[in-house]
Amino acid sequence: MKRKTVKMIAWGLFALALVQDAARHAQAQDAKTPYPTMLPLDQYLMDRDAEIAMSRSAGPNSVSSGAKVLVLGRHGYETAVEGKNGFVCLVGRSWDLPKNNPAFWDPKIHGPICLSAPGARSFLPIYLKKTELAIAGRSNAQIEDAIIDGIAKGELPTPEPGSVSYMMSKQGYLNAGVKGPWLPHVMFFVPEIDPKALGSDLGDDVPLDAHEEKIGRYTTIDVPVSNWSDGTPADSGDHAH
Amino acid sequence: MKRNTVNMIALACFALALALGAARHAQAQDAKNPYPTSMVPLDQYLMGRDAEIALARSAAPRSVAKDATVMVLGKDGYETAVEGTNGFVCNVDRSWMDQFEDSPEFWNPKRRGPVCYNPPAARTLLPITLIRTKLALAGKSKAEMNEGMKAAIEKGKLPALDPGGMAYMLSKQGFLNSTCGNCSPHLMFYVPVKDAHTWGAAPLGTDAPILLAPHFNGAPEPVTEFIVPVSEWSDGTSADSDAHSH
Repeated sequence: MKRKTVKMIAWGLFALALVQDAARHAQAQDAKTPYPTMLPLDQYLMDRDAEIAMSRSAGPNSVSSGAKVLVLGRHGYETAVEGKNGFVCLVGRSWDLPKNNPAFWDPKIHGPICLSAPGARSFLPIYLKKTELAIAGRSNAQIEDAIIDGIAKGELPTPEPGSVSYMMSKQGYLNAGVKGPWLPHVMFFVPEIDPKALGSDLGDDVPLDAHEEKIGRYTTIDVPVSNWSDGTPADSGDHAH
Repeated sequence: MKRNTVNMIALACFALALALGAARHAQAQDAKNPYPTSMVPLDQYLMGRDAEIALARSAAPRSVAKDATVMVLGKDGYETAVEGTNGFVCNVDRSWMDQFEDSPEFWNPKRRGPVCYNPPAARTLLPITLIRTKLALAGKSKAEMNEGMKAAIEKGKLPALDPGGMAYMLSKQGFLNSTCGNCSPHLMFYVPVKDAHTWGAAPLGTDAPILLAPHFNGAPEPVTEFIVPVSEWSDGTSADSDAHSH
């Protein structure tokens, strides 16, 4: 596992991985600006059954088999499968990225994720709001500003302790840098803490990556795990970096 | 990676041990318990100071451990052997950090659990180690330690859990129990007592990405420890390259 070559950035629900030449990569993307605005909604939609399956692939079967599943429809996310264990699984789209990310409207991005109940309560509303704004035709800047404003006014929640998510799908596509799902990983969300206090950024030998999210004032901790949700080892995946 | 195979073997061995043990557990404990049922002379739990410092540091990646405070076990409890600068604290846990119930190795002097706590955990988890150790060294039985810990909690001697508490256990040289030896490299995350299902955690010995530690969890310490196995030991070698990983 070449975790040392990877630096994560994250914002919102699902983390997107970039290789260390991120700056150069971003410059190249900027030059092309392949997706300056939202494309027709159809390009972001998936076949319903395929989306349910991809959503569930984010978590181990013990989690996803009892989870609620959301799928993206023409008016936003809708419940496709009712759950019973408190987890919520869905496939995140590109508008969860920071507003300046060149992939903000990239329709290829699919981030399967399963959120624990506290995560679903405290993170999902933010992403669902972004989705609502995207479908309503708002720009990337307008979306981010609205989220910042919503959190500041208390209209959107901040993370609850004990928020956990699984991103263990081999089928995801997190960005053009990794051209796939990066590594299977679990994510923990805690109230804002210096990443160095978790060991992150102290050296390349640390098996986690943490980053402070100024919007919402929390810290995300990503921990790569050994296996994809289907049980196959992480380093057997073609997409693992 | 042969992790799945190794996991299955370890799991099968663990299940077999449980199955064999269940029928004869009480009888075997009484007739031939391979582990001490009470504390043995303290010397058997002690180790050379330099070796203990090195073992403690092996719990975390070098970039974390090199600047950490290191505590070693002395005749009067844990003492600081190295003053750190990054807020992390490393030590080697002894057997009495096990759960109070169903813990046949509670007094096993071979147990060595190298661990490095991050700053929030050093403030709020390390006191559990220090209190338990104080009780053990005072000659308390397991039951008395349990009661002593309950009393300490009731008296507010345990600080409230800080958010973001976690620890590294990546040492290849540890001996966590007789079932899995050094077990597998892992991280531990601490939260207020929670049901395992809220994190989707599974019991130890399974192949889940998040596992529930059997100790603490309200019995009596008011903290739940979740374990996340990772792929490499602190020396950078793969977990799968070691026969003991599971």
